[in-house]
Amino acid sequence: MVNLTIDDKQVTAPKTATIYEAAKLNGIAIPILCHDKKLKPFGACRMCLVEVEQMKGRQIPACTTPVTEGMIIRTSTPDIVKARKMVLELLLLNHPIDCPVCDKAGDCDLQNLTYEYKVDANRFTDEKFHHEIDYNNPLIERDMNRCVLCGKCARICDEIVSFGALTFISRGIETKIGCEFDEALNCEFCGSCVSVCPVGSLLARPFKFKARFWSLTKNKSVCGYCGTGCNLTLGVKDNKVLTTLYDENQGFHNGQLCVRGRFGYQFINSDKRLTKPLVRKNGKLEEAGWDEALELVAARLKDAGASTAALATARLTNEELVVFKQLLQTAGCGNYDHSAGYAHAALTEGFAGSFGASASPSTILDIQKSDLLLVIKTDAYETHPVVGFEINMAVKNKGTLLKILTDKSGKLSKLPDARTLVHTPGSEIAIINSLAKVILDNKLVDASAAALPGYAALEKELAAFTPEAVSAQCGLTAVEIKLLASAYATAEKALILFPVGQAYPGHTAALANAVANLALLAGKLGKEGGGVLCLSEKNNSQGAVDMGFQAGIGAGRIIDGCADGSITTLFLAGENPLVSYPDHARVQAALDKVEFLVVSEMFLTETAAMADVVLPVCSFAEKEGTFTATDRRVQHIKPAIRKVGQSRSDFEIFGALIAKLGGVAPGTPASVFAEISATVPGYTGMSYASLGVEGQFAPVELKPAFVMPNAPAVTVEPGKLALVTGSALYHNGTLSQYGEGPMHVCPEGYVEISRADAAASRFAENDLLTVSSAGGSMKLKAHISARMPQGVVFAPYHFGANPVNQVWSGAPVTWITLAK
Amino acid sequence: MIPEHMKQELVKRVSGAITNREAAVDVMKELQRHYGWLSDEAVQEAADVLGLSPLQVEELATFYEMIYRRPVGRHVIHVCDSVSCWSMGGESLLQQLERVLEVNVGATTADGIFTLLPCCCLGNCGKAPAVMVGERLYGPVTPEGAEAFIKGLIESSA
Repeated sequence: MVNLTIDDKQVTAPKTATIYEAAKLNGIAIPILCHDKKLKPFGACRMCLVEVEQMKGRQIPACTTPVTEGMIIRTSTPDIVKARKMVLELLLLNHPIDCPVCDKAGDCDLQNLTYEYKVDANRFTDEKFHHEIDYNNPLIERDMNRCVLCGKCARICDEIVSFGALTFISRGIETKIGCEFDEALNCEFCGSCVSVCPVGSLLARPFKFKARFWSLTKNKSVCGYCGTGCNLTLGVKDNKVLTTLYDENQGFHNGQLCVRGRFGYQFINSDKRLTKPLVRKNGKLEEAGWDEALELVAARLKDAGASTAALATARLTNEELVVFKQLLQTAGCGNYDHSAGYAHAALTEGFAGSFGASASPSTILDIQKSDLLLVIKTDAYETHPVVGFEINMAVKNKGTLLKILTDKSGKLSKLPDARTLVHTPGSEIAIINSLAKVILDNKLVDASAAALPGYAALEKELAAFTPEAVSAQCGLTAVEIKLLASAYATAEKALILFPVGQAYPGHTAALANAVANLALLAGKLGKEGGGVLCLSEKNNSQGAVDMGFQAGIGAGRIIDGCADGSITTLFLAGENPLVSYPDHARVQAALDKVEFLVVSEMFLTETAAMADVVLPVCSFAEKEGTFTATDRRVQHIKPAIRKVGQSRSDFEIFGALIAKLGGVAPGTPASVFAEISATVPGYTGMSYASLGVEGQFAPVELKPAFVMPNAPAVTVEPGKLALVTGSALYHNGTLSQYGEGPMHVCPEGYVEISRADAAASRFAENDLLTVSSAGGSMKLKAHISARMPQGVVFAPYHFGANPVNQVWSGAPVTWITLAK
Repeated sequence: MIPEHMKQELVKRVSGAITNREAAVDVMKELQRHYGWLSDEAVQEAADVLGLSPLQVEELATFYEMIYRRPVGRHVIHVCDSVSCWSMGGESLLQQLERVLEVNVGATTADGIFTLLPCCCLGNCGKAPAVMVGERLYGPVTPEGAEAFIKGLIESSA
């Protein structure tokens, strides 16, 4: 710490602090335009000028100048105020001052500073800019006439998002922020640039002209898409969520969001929301009252008893899952599951065996503290973009090494010095076993490993996985495997990340075991910045696992049970298996066959349209409860708006049904959470108060052991292409189809093919191709990209209009042919 | 597309630089010599050779006034408009050249031979008004001598 004087106040600050940071720490505000706490100091705007006595009264920028011992700083002398006024005058010289029609008014740093410094006239004259406004994409409007050239958009796009869509071009008197070849913005549309823009140059188009900033109620919440657990601020007016607002102090991610979080909120107030219960009468779904619908469901549950099964989405709150379980137990139903079953097997079977706990030992906060990140599949960026930002920052700012084992390259591969090993699809488990084998052979084993249960058996079982043997079938060389193994083993702190989810059937319990073995052998657990993090798909996937929402025969066999008649009644809470589960025909047949199908949903999904009763439920923005993020951060949400139409929360619906079945309905989400905190391991002692705004981690108690994973043999079908499924960056599950933002940039399914395969078959971009597998065929648009290796194609799974499960039956690798 | 040998040469030069970015001007100038100006294709090629994104190359290309991001004539006449040359009649020289060449500042003659551009100080203030054509400096070029100057250029390039 250093001692210094700011405005006659004796203060202390860390020696790495800048004057701006030191002042802020001590409650002294210095005005800024170009500075953002997440970005590197830049010093472009000169608003933060201060005087430092030791520098002979010169005016120096506070945001770039580090503090030194004994510094005497004045932040607002008459000279400084005069200088800042002039900075504003110069900025306003070119700025159009069209605040009455500018969406930024009220939330504009330039406007606020102009008022604060009472700049009401200008001594200078100059022309305004005459740049063309970029209206070319539906999400981000770029009006460079309002730009003050602070560079925050260009810097956040480079430093955190690592996309590099924007920069200063024509530097000099004509400088402006431009895109490649001075064309329209075409990027991944995360909107980070919009969030940091201090003026109205970059605006969120979906929110344009919807409301003034000051008329919005700002409600804090947690994003309803992926498992990262990002915090949101919802801008609400007239009981509608109109936008998400940027709060740089919110969450571990400092307000950073991805395209889904920032632009995908429209499903909350979508016109397509179901507002009344629907009951099938004479073969048609017709609107009905709640009493009628619930009575019907309760009667049916009572009759069906043990032949009832249930599947829930992992987007329900922890409390809802607990109450749903209670309902099913009251009804005598013993078969329930979530997320297709296999999508959480890495946790419930894999980690449960290897760590004695169905949760990841590491957290997202470990990423930036690590020395080496081993990412399995570049898709980790697409499935969890804000985790991807953490990886970007670790690699770019902290010098963390990045190694990627993947079946295709991706955005992460482009990071500085990233080493991407592209293997043949489906061979990751064998490769990880081989890494473990190298660690054993090269005596890189940590001292703690030999004492763990299963060590001797593992040593024996791994004998077959020499790099030479594995390299023959996986597309990597033995040397590559050996180098990766030694880099991993010798890194002080190494963290392994891998996504799981419905589109990743290859990321199984065995993969989790293999990864756990590697971390245990090399002794990477229990250190900050080291360990293993499984990235679960939905916002409450980890919660569903923790609440134990899984009993009986499992999701796959529940579908089979419906088809063979052993299950007569199926309750689907928010799950859309017709689109998201493998093998469309099989799911369709099962849902056709099942006698009674109840669906609680926000929308009339493909699955809900087949139901006998549809119960309209509300979104996360309308309910109270807790979500558990992928790293077991438990967070509390409160309603931001009143419930839409007559929709009810799943909590209320399950409670009402319990009462109708003669059980004791639970009280409130709060009382159920109290029950959870008394009974669920790791949640002990939690309360809404202890969760606070940041949430609280549920600790994971480890009982490590080695479990030998079976590496599945991949059969190659010559002459065919290997189809791997996955998530598109813009989507998460099937919910994002109801968010306008994601649908603007990625409206339909596609099949991504390598340039070589496209050239060989003469496919052009956007050609409508027939994709055929043993299971069926379908049409998808071709998307040709440089990232796909020859012989491998990729298709995202989210889309109800053309679900990829028509050709994909749940195998990690599906062999297909393509034809025009 | 640039010929393979040229690409190899550029790759070699980039690998000899301490950072890739520092070789950017060199690479852009070579590509400009090849194409006559730095086309979008050339920016893409420069980016490939330098291991930068096209946007990063664009940022540098648009900063330097002697890197041309638009097509130019065979000879680009840079007329200094900074203060020393201005005080010695640079402004009149530029106007005179406009008349002689029958083009406005910033444009290329109909026969595609000359492009007339104003530029920043050429460091040739002692011989103001200064002019640069290609990589050769001229000065002083008086407004009265503008016509003779252009004639000289045509003759020497013929």
